[in-house]
Amino acid sequence: MNHVLVADLGYGDAGKGTVVDWLCAKGIDGRPVAAVVRYNGGGQAGHSVVLPDGRRHVFAQFGAGTLRGVHTHLSRFMVVDPLALVVEADHLADVGVPDALDRLTVEGDALLATPYHRAANRAREIARGAHRHGSCGKGVGEAMGYALAHPSDAPRVADAQAPGVLRAKLTLLRDRLVDELGPLDVPPIEATVHAFGAFAARVPIVSRAFLGNLLAVGPVVFEGAQGVLLDEWHGFHPYTTWSTTTFDNAETLLVEAGQAGNATRLGVLRVVTTRHGAGPLVTEDPGLPLTDPNNPTNRWQGRFRFGHFDAVAHRYAIEVCGGVDGIALTHLDIVSPALKFCDRYDWTDRLLPGPVGDLARQEALTRRLFSTRPRFSNGPVDWPSAVSAALDAPVVITSHGPTAEGKQVLRPNWAARAHPATAGGHPAR
Amino acid sequence: MGSGVWSTDVYDAADRYRRSTGKSAFAYSDSGARTVHPKLDPRGAVRESRDSAEHPESISIAVLFDVTGSMGHVPRVLQTKLPKLLGLLLRNGYARDPQILFGAIGDATCDRVPLQIGQFESDNRMDDDLSRIVLEGGGGGQMTESYELALYYMARHTELDCFTRRGRRGYLFVIGDELAYDRVKAREVRNVCGDDLSEDIPIRRIVSEVRRKFDTYYLLPRGASHAGNAKVLDFWRGLLGQNAIELDDPNAVCETIALAVGLGEAAIDLDAGLSDLAAAGSTVAASVSSALAPVERGGRVLSTWGLPTTLHGDDRISRL
Repeated sequence: MNHVLVADLGYGDAGKGTVVDWLCAKGIDGRPVAAVVRYNGGGQAGHSVVLPDGRRHVFAQFGAGTLRGVHTHLSRFMVVDPLALVVEADHLADVGVPDALDRLTVEGDALLATPYHRAANRAREIARGAHRHGSCGKGVGEAMGYALAHPSDAPRVADAQAPGVLRAKLTLLRDRLVDELGPLDVPPIEATVHAFGAFAARVPIVSRAFLGNLLAVGPVVFEGAQGVLLDEWHGFHPYTTWSTTTFDNAETLLVEAGQAGNATRLGVLRVVTTRHGAGPLVTEDPGLPLTDPNNPTNRWQGRFRFGHFDAVAHRYAIEVCGGVDGIALTHLDIVSPALKFCDRYDWTDRLLPGPVGDLARQEALTRRLFSTRPRFSNGPVDWPSAVSAALDAPVVITSHGPTAEGKQVLRPNWAARAHPATAGGHPAR
Repeated sequence: MGSGVWSTDVYDAADRYRRSTGKSAFAYSDSGARTVHPKLDPRGAVRESRDSAEHPESISIAVLFDVTGSMGHVPRVLQTKLPKLLGLLLRNGYARDPQILFGAIGDATCDRVPLQIGQFESDNRMDDDLSRIVLEGGGGGQMTESYELALYYMARHTELDCFTRRGRRGYLFVIGDELAYDRVKAREVRNVCGDDLSEDIPIRRIVSEVRRKFDTYYLLPRGASHAGNAKVLDFWRGLLGQNAIELDDPNAVCETIALAVGLGEAAIDLDAGLSDLAAAGSTVAASVSSALAPVERGGRVLSTWGLPTTLHGDDRISRL
């Protein structure tokens, strides 16, 4: 058994969706993928997948293997938004997957994103004015923050099965947020209890033990959201997300299931370094002749920003997430002489990871990055080799277009991991 | 990062969830197909349920349901429920390595698609088989369907490692609401399965044969047109005893199958299974309880080593 962990080594939007779709279409080591497990983030993810016949879907909560009929499991590290989930399921039905909800399981311990979190999220971001953090306005960070402040009062997925508990938690949540932020434009508690109850009646809510059984069925893809450079502890504070975007959550899930380390760590990068929302982007170049139809300018994040390939930032990402076994390099179809390569900044070629929790240090690093100048060389002829050399990690997959057909495997046995699988491989019943 | 194109309207979400429960996944059938999908064609094929490195202790579970008109909307209810079966079995630890086959039963005397049989799968490919099933929707009106032909196929055209390597029977669930014909007809077997039989096989003989390989249940859901008809239940009780089960609620069929497997595997007793259902928020525990109460038994100990794969003599089920 060999699972694959997928994480974005930039600020998101590198192409995790298309890589997960391809893994699910082709299988891993010749075996079909049993499930995609989401291990961080929530409904704010936007993982685009395009099928060869032109059908497309931007995955938010469902795993990006859904168009291939692969099961999705939302782990407890996800913030689950039941309202958006069913709308996404309906869109999947429109593009030919009528039963996405039947291929879904959700862990009961996962936090719920509610209309109250969402309203508070927007109220805070508006109050920040020019100092917006680049939040998506979906309430995911708000749900995480509330759970940290009030762990036992935070609404969780399993509460959706217990209307009385849910009603009490939602009421407390709403009252606290209104006390803090003033009147919020939110629906009544009863409407939310009703809608979440419909969610619980439709979607199987499972315990922590479920994942162990799933991992025994076949290889599983762990699909990360956002990017390592947005990590809550290692990103450039405060322009980060309230989520651990490294492999840590996925590794925790594997350890609990008795499959510690039994996975290949795949980092995803694109040949241009991009960022949606505020925060440092050292190599940013508004003159780059690029657009991204998947990331229109929006009210919460502004316009999508393009920069040249920032090997310094990506090297840092690899270091803070504990290394990768391979890199999937995407968007090679847009390579042109206009693209440059940044292997060092004006003051360093290496950003040092700090201790977890030292946000003052991260904030200082952020200030420094705002005044940092990139040193560019011309874009390489052989991008995979240049990226492998600059990051000291092999590029194992390349992507030359939006569909699974545009992928090439550079190392045939990339998923065959060197370290041994844990004995037995099957968790106790 | 971020897209957020999916609406979060609280007033709309409950309706969408409700609508989602009735959505058809019988895409093949609903697109107008009236012939058996190649992947479900029983002719000349053997369905295998094998052990592997990932699934060293496979347990074979076959779920066949009547797709003729007399069953009304029941097949569509099943279609929304059955994809959850694997999750139920794994989640609750009722079976270690379940491999599930879906199939559909029609009437060989008048239907275009009398028998459709998928593969044993241990992942969601089984759902694809479900979506390829053609719903006949006709039905002869004679209160008889070709169940015996399906039982013949399961007895003679399956290879189960759980059975041959470990002496443990698989599970066969037939969901329907009518009688079987009194014999497996050689002519129909030739047309549908491609086998040459020298003579017809009486229904009781084929039932004995299939029960040697599969712990076999007949589920009669209320809501099907002949449900509650004592003649149908008596007919199957006569063949399967307490394994002929009447179900109050067709919505409970998936949970009933999961618990029957859990009981058979001695992974749970009925009380533990019902509390699992309650913990999972199931609303069908009462139906499952009344359906399975007569079935509960203390595990099943089988010794089938050395017996021939096919029986030709008298009913030897008593030896198992």
